[in-house]
Amino acid sequence: MRNIWAIFKKEFKIYFDTPVAYVVFGIFSLITGYFFLQIFSYFQRQSLQFLQYQAPQMLEHMNLNDMVFRPLFLNINVFFLLMIPVITMRLIADEKRLKTYELLMTTPVSTWQIVMGKYLASLSVVLIMVLIVFIYPILLSFFGSEGGLSAGSIEWMPIITSGLGLFLAGAAFSALGIFASSLTESQIISAIVAFGLLLLFWVIGWASAGAEGVSKEVLRYLSLLEHLDQFTKGLIELKDLVYYFSVIFFGLFLTQQTVSSQRWR
Amino acid sequence: MIEVKGLTKFYKHIRAIEDVSFTVERGDIVGFLGPNGAGKTTTMKIITGFMPPDSGTAKVAGFDVFEQPMEVKKRIGYLPENPPLYNDMTVNDYLKFVASIKGVESKKINDEIERVSEKCAIKDVSKRLIAHLSKGYRQRVGIAQAILGNPEIVIFDEPTIGLDPNQVFEVRTLIKELAREKTVILSTHILPEVEMTCKKVIVIHRGHIVATEPIEDLLRRRKRINEVVIRVRRFSLELMKQIQEKFNVKINQPPQMEDGFNVIFENNEDKREEIAKFIVDGGFGLLELRPITLSLEDVFRELTTEEKAA
Repeated sequence: MRNIWAIFKKEFKIYFDTPVAYVVFGIFSLITGYFFLQIFSYFQRQSLQFLQYQAPQMLEHMNLNDMVFRPLFLNINVFFLLMIPVITMRLIADEKRLKTYELLMTTPVSTWQIVMGKYLASLSVVLIMVLIVFIYPILLSFFGSEGGLSAGSIEWMPIITSGLGLFLAGAAFSALGIFASSLTESQIISAIVAFGLLLLFWVIGWASAGAEGVSKEVLRYLSLLEHLDQFTKGLIELKDLVYYFSVIFFGLFLTQQTVSSQRWR
Repeated sequence: MIEVKGLTKFYKHIRAIEDVSFTVERGDIVGFLGPNGAGKTTTMKIITGFMPPDSGTAKVAGFDVFEQPMEVKKRIGYLPENPPLYNDMTVNDYLKFVASIKGVESKKINDEIERVSEKCAIKDVSKRLIAHLSKGYRQRVGIAQAILGNPEIVIFDEPTIGLDPNQVFEVRTLIKELAREKTVILSTHILPEVEMTCKKVIVIHRGHIVATEPIEDLLRRRKRINEVVIRVRRFSLELMKQIQEKFNVKINQPPQMEDGFNVIFENNEDKREEIAKFIVDGGFGLLELRPITLSLEDVFRELTTEEKAA
């Protein structure tokens, strides 16, 4: 436990002592802010239209959760595909390049401890990104009702489950990212491999459109981006949890195997 | 303390080391000497558990490197060829990190860092970013890292490479000092470095151990008494001829030498005294008379050819 903590602390410090974390958070805020602005202004235009046409029955369907935050979280999920490889790319690859790998591998630390410490550090960055997303509903809850929007009230439960889902998705992406990082000593190759893996796990779901029966379900289930959907509706389903945790376990297991293969290769 | 038997390692199809065996006793300071590419680093990497051999075993303090790697790693401090430093960390943060992964108790970490910083004279840079350190300081931080946690065995791989002469001297002095209380293996391609610091030497050449002997033996090999260099103030070909005839020795004048020549004694006869007297009495102005010192390459050549003869 102490070793994991030591490695976690070191990785965390490196994220925040170098510009990496700040650049990631900066760009992430910029892009998600833009998402939010676009989605929200569309929502506003729609509401105004319905008001003009005196269509109260339509207005009842307009609520911030479904019309703003669900699409926001789903879009950010896709954006995570691009951001996570950048966060995880240096984790192991850079140790190899700097030759500090020799230090880690010749001190009494197990490969599990190395992998876990590093993984948890990347999770902390993901967690902060998820917290950044929470700025948007909080902003709306302050100013939304002032604007006289009838649907201005926010239901918090689905937003919290969305956040949880987004975090789990980020955790799953990171697990694949750290695996990519263990394969090479080049950060660029690491990022490209991670991006390729994530993309592959996304588009695998597209094949489900043409498939039938069981294979349709299986393909859909395998897709990385399918599983946030239920969370954004406020539902935490076992099958989604199982999926995320399986990907995390799978990624970390492969990483640990790759790192320890150094010892018997 | 360290027992290595029959280590062999191939990289793809290139042989790095073959059938390397040696033992190092507790408290030994062993120089692991060989030219670049001889297999020194490979051997060090195997002993530290970084890399497995293709065959053979390595035991440290009775623990097999591959059966019980953790026990071995607890006992070894290792400075690889490139000091394993994180450029983005300060010296102090770095040492804290290394101390904690080496299992130094939390309460003792600061004292331990204090101790090694003092020893390696890096206290004045403790708050500096490692990226900003000079090469000499980087090396010393690397050594500090290796001796953190007070391991019984310390392994240095080419610790003075790329340092300026003053830094080389400092690092060697430091290693010598450490050697008083620990078992030390020093891998290097610089013969004087071994002479200065070690008691025993293991010579490796092209992946094979060619000699394991006390340092005195190696020095004797290096100084060939039966061939001496003579330089005189007033040189003449006549003098060379006279010496050759009078003492019945072979004379050899290297082309770049203008004021001297080499004298080779046959049958191991040492005629240095007589020759010196002859030159001084003849008023030739003796400037220098010394046994030839072989370069490291010559020593290797001698060791390897001897091996073949045997």
